[in-house]
Amino acid sequence: MDTLTFLLSGTLLAATPLLIAALGELVTEKSGVLNLSIEGMMALGAVTGFIVATASGSYWLALLAGGVAAAALAAVFGFVVLVTLGNQVASGIAVGILGIGLSGLIGRPYESSTIAPMHELPIPFLSNVPVIGPGLFDHVALVYCAPLLAVATWWLLRSTKVGLVIRAVGEAPEAAHAIGYNVVLVRFCAVLYGGFCAGIAGAFISIASATLWSDGIIAGRGWIVVALVVFGTWRSGRVAIGAYLFGMTTLAGLLVQSTGIAIPSQVLTSVPYIVTIIAIAMLSMDPQRIRLNAPVSLGQIYHEAK
Amino acid sequence: MKRILTAILLAAGLATTGHAADLKMGFILPSPAADVGWAKQLDLGREAVEAAFGDRVETTMVESVPEGPDAARVMNQMISDGATMLMLGSFGYMNDGLKLARSHPEVAMIHASGYKQADNFATFTARNYEGFYLGGMAAGMVTKSNIIGMVAAFAIPEVVAEVNAITLAAQKVNPEAQVKVIWLNSWFDPPKAQEAARALISQGADVLFSLHQDTPSVVNVAEAEGIYVVNTSSDMSAYGPNSVLASVTNDWSDYFVSLVQDKLDGKFKGADFRGGLSEGAVKMAAWSKDLSDEQMAELKKTEESFAAGQSHAFDGPIIDQDGTERVAAGATLPDGEIFGMNWLVKGVDGSVPN
Repeated sequence: MDTLTFLLSGTLLAATPLLIAALGELVTEKSGVLNLSIEGMMALGAVTGFIVATASGSYWLALLAGGVAAAALAAVFGFVVLVTLGNQVASGIAVGILGIGLSGLIGRPYESSTIAPMHELPIPFLSNVPVIGPGLFDHVALVYCAPLLAVATWWLLRSTKVGLVIRAVGEAPEAAHAIGYNVVLVRFCAVLYGGFCAGIAGAFISIASATLWSDGIIAGRGWIVVALVVFGTWRSGRVAIGAYLFGMTTLAGLLVQSTGIAIPSQVLTSVPYIVTIIAIAMLSMDPQRIRLNAPVSLGQIYHEAK
Repeated sequence: MKRILTAILLAAGLATTGHAADLKMGFILPSPAADVGWAKQLDLGREAVEAAFGDRVETTMVESVPEGPDAARVMNQMISDGATMLMLGSFGYMNDGLKLARSHPEVAMIHASGYKQADNFATFTARNYEGFYLGGMAAGMVTKSNIIGMVAAFAIPEVVAEVNAITLAAQKVNPEAQVKVIWLNSWFDPPKAQEAARALISQGADVLFSLHQDTPSVVNVAEAEGIYVVNTSSDMSAYGPNSVLASVTNDWSDYFVSLVQDKLDGKFKGADFRGGLSEGAVKMAAWSKDLSDEQMAELKKTEESFAAGQSHAFDGPIIDQDGTERVAAGATLPDGEIFGMNWLVKGVDGSVPN
């Protein structure tokens, strides 16, 4: 494996779970709900996926199960913030901690176990191209799905009626309610979808990239997901750029260390964060446009008019 | 009335447990005592105590205790449940433990890898560098690319000493050997450890060292990529039957048993214990079958010589990265400097983060 191949394939492996979870969170936030429990949902998805894959041998079933388990946790979060009108920030953090604790508990018998990696799906012809082929076109199917999901999310929010309703509910819940949309239901579905994506992302880590389960394996990635959505100014394309950039700079930092170039490793560890923030900040220089994309009612409690 | 009631309840409680143990000992572990890892090795020490003393010592164990207020709470709880001896399995429990030790002189504590002691507060550390020196020799013997990679957590002196020991050993048996190190700057991030492992492989490394990674993360990558790996804490050959070259494991059984005996005899002292091959606290396990008989003989010879104190991993001459001679020929690096190491030996690609 040469350096460039490693950089390309490593970037895709590191960025894919971030991107999938961030695209889910994007839809949730577009509907006006800030979900800060992504870390816990990814952890729950990771452990559920790992257990199902170990027990059944079916990785697709495992991904689905991871998504469903995280969506169930998302339902708890949705109930707290949408029905009992809990504060979104506090509830999100609390549900996140619940998810992390729960995943440790469920995963106790599987702690530090490993699993055979999910099968790769090399793309014919392209995967035979030297250097780039094994780097970009010899991965598990989900790696190719992630950018497609970004395009689909962009299209969904921009050009479909469902997207329009989600945005309306996030921008002006009272108005959406007035013309007959069920704000709470739309938001609840968006929360479930976000949880489902986070669960799949977590399961991707435990069965496709790290191929092991250990309590704490998500190691802060859930928070990077939340940050990516904000720094991506709620636009699918920028969220995707952010995810891949973050993945690539993280790996580049490790590569630079392995070549022995004398840059302090703490600097290299912080580079991905700095580069991602600067790059996206430059893309979104115009504050007018940020305001245009940020859901107006994000994080606000919605009291349904009787 | 209340007092009588409590007395009755207490008596009933004792009656149900049948026979009261002479000593209750609590173990606090920072991570789950899974099949492998640091916490597992400490828990094996607990089992050894139970096996050695039978009914005389009753042990309890709480795992996955985060450092900070939670740890202090668990310690308090154990003491109020009657524990008079505690094993604190993480560096970060130091201050809470020490504070409690001062207010409860009747409770003896043993603390992993700390540097503060008190009359009833002992510390223990492993001389893992001795084991890693042997691992480094083996790595130097089997490498074909002459590039050895290390995935390391943080650049604390303990880990720096291990990096240096590996480098010195590898270059002793194979002067061509080049050593690359990646610091993760994180105690726990298995996916990142794997990314680092792959980065090292992409730079040509064909032997990896997994320094202070509790999970088989790096072993998993090595097995998949068909290269060798030397890991910390537990025997991980089950995770890498073809890839594990050796495991540097810790065994606290003898140490724990002797301290419990001291406590029972009323002779407990807050001493600092640094255990290596000779004390049995560091043990080599899972030597690969790929090592030839001559190679194994050489490794065993060095192991015995370390255990007998005839030679030392940091025998001079040792030159650091800047070319300064840190240890002269014929001299040995003093213990204090080994446990405060913040410089790398010549031949390591990489630097120590400050």
